[in-house]
Amino acid sequence: MRVLVTKLAPYAVFVGVLLLVPAVFTRVPFFTMANAVQMGILAIATLGLVLLAGFAGQISIGQAAFYGIGAYSSAILTTRAGMPPLGGVVVGAVLCGLAAYLVGSFIFRVRGHYLALATLAFGLMLGNIARQLEITGGASGIVDIPQLALGPLIITGDLRYYYLVAAVLLVVIVLARNLVNSAFGRSLRALGDSEIAAASSGVDLARHKRVVFVVAAVFASVAGSLYAHWVTFVDYHTLDLLLSIQLLIMATVGGLRTVWGAPVGAFLVLTLSQAAQELLPRLSSNIGGEFEIAVFGLALILVLLFLPSGVAGGVLGLLKRRRRTAPRVPTDAS
Amino acid sequence: MSDNLQFIVTGLATGSVYALVGLGIVLVHQVTGIINFAQGEFVMVGALTFALLNEKGLGLVPAALSALAITVVVGVLVERLAIAPARKSTIERLIILTIGASIAIQGITLVVIGTSPHFASAFTAGAPYRIGGVVILRQYLWVFAVTALAVVTLWYFLTRTLTGKAMRAAAMNRDAARLVAVSPSRMSLLAFVLAALLGAIGGIVLAPLQAPSAGIGIALGLKGFTAAVLGGLNSPTGAVAGGLLIGVIESVAAGYLPSGYKDAIAFGILFLVLLIRPNGLLRRASSVRV
Repeated sequence: MRVLVTKLAPYAVFVGVLLLVPAVFTRVPFFTMANAVQMGILAIATLGLVLLAGFAGQISIGQAAFYGIGAYSSAILTTRAGMPPLGGVVVGAVLCGLAAYLVGSFIFRVRGHYLALATLAFGLMLGNIARQLEITGGASGIVDIPQLALGPLIITGDLRYYYLVAAVLLVVIVLARNLVNSAFGRSLRALGDSEIAAASSGVDLARHKRVVFVVAAVFASVAGSLYAHWVTFVDYHTLDLLLSIQLLIMATVGGLRTVWGAPVGAFLVLTLSQAAQELLPRLSSNIGGEFEIAVFGLALILVLLFLPSGVAGGVLGLLKRRRRTAPRVPTDAS
Repeated sequence: MSDNLQFIVTGLATGSVYALVGLGIVLVHQVTGIINFAQGEFVMVGALTFALLNEKGLGLVPAALSALAITVVVGVLVERLAIAPARKSTIERLIILTIGASIAIQGITLVVIGTSPHFASAFTAGAPYRIGGVVILRQYLWVFAVTALAVVTLWYFLTRTLTGKAMRAAAMNRDAARLVAVSPSRMSLLAFVLAALLGAIGGIVLAPLQAPSAGIGIALGLKGFTAAVLGGLNSPTGAVAGGLLIGVIESVAAGYLPSGYKDAIAFGILFLVLLIRPNGLLRRASSVRV
């Protein structure tokens, strides 16, 4: 019983926070429910990156490519092939997984800097192609994507959409946490710490990297689909380099070595961006909201230098230190 | 035929700028082991400062010198504030740090200068030269000459001066360099200074050809990576060759394909080279042993 409680406690806290969000976000003038939906969607995509870059140590500056594959699959399948939206989400995720498997089976020939550049080039290439092809609507994109519906129930309004996104976020967090604490996850962390040591203990590097790459891509794809059905519009900006970088910032600020880093990072970075858009124009009349990018860059540098395990990582570290007085039990990675 | 020649000449001019960016990336990578994602922003700062001062009526030489000085200051700040404190971090973190530096520079430039492009006049006024149907802008000649001069000076510095040799020593083996009283930390700073100078030079010669705005750094940096990777990331000569090659391919491709595919081609080449010949086009591939 005690074990069950300690196992479920983090989820209980998280569900509590997710349920509190509408109460707070609808009352505080600063936030809207649209912010909350956006945070949830980006947290899902960031979670994939936390697994890939944080746990397995394989950096990707091309996650927006998979987000884009999801968004465009949803858009094309529902508007051109008449598929129901939910079908678009699922088929998009499968297609994206296949694409990631294909790319993953040769992209890991390179590591470190080369991997960063290869994923970057892949993302940019896809973004450029999406802008040119006819099937993706060229530069004008695809409009009138149907809203998401569960059977006859069409999910309209930011509040309802938030509950849907929050539910998906909870599911992927549970999945990710179980993955991380499984034997597979331990091999993943070993490989993130030292590829040589992991390989000599019998970890199949290529397979592990490929699998985590596919998982991260599928998470990004689901997030992209959710985004497409929410704003009912996609264009090539959806898979912009800036999104890849934003996801990387969220993962880093939140914490690369804990699954909670994803929601914390998405919340903090979007709050910061919102604050920058509200406050910067007040400082000087010729500063518009688009200068949030400076705030992003500085926040990223500060977190990396002074809080290398990210905000969620730092908080978890504090909690663990306080628990030290209690008899030590082998702790899982959270 | 003269169409093709024209594409090649135009491509060599932009390729020269890519070569300078690639050279800066190779230099920093050799000495510090870091891929500096902020290299494109050095070009942007150099080009924008030069264009801005030029617009304000400052002459060619004072505007160029101020642009060089400001870019070097930016380079030193990046190295001292972001890179040096995190020397011991993992590669992923260092990559993310330079990305952070890059968008911070871009953002601060946006705040200080704004989004609009600025225009610099060509170094020497006058009609372009025409040789058998090929138009050669006077600025192209400046681009070629300045790039060649920068490359030769860098080569001389790295191979013929004591400081340059110390820098290469630090690149080969940090500990051994430290034993003979070469400070890798100073060399890292010097590498960033040189990279900022190279970037600023590229930006200054580019400014009259393409009115610079705060957003041009990303694309230029990416072309510079492509140049550096084509040459194998460790070879200055390779980076120059890679830069010229990318410039020409891009320009010829833009002549025959819809112009939107220009960037897709450059990034496609980067992707393929990384996967097929990660050691560059000229080197024999050495397999990674685990």
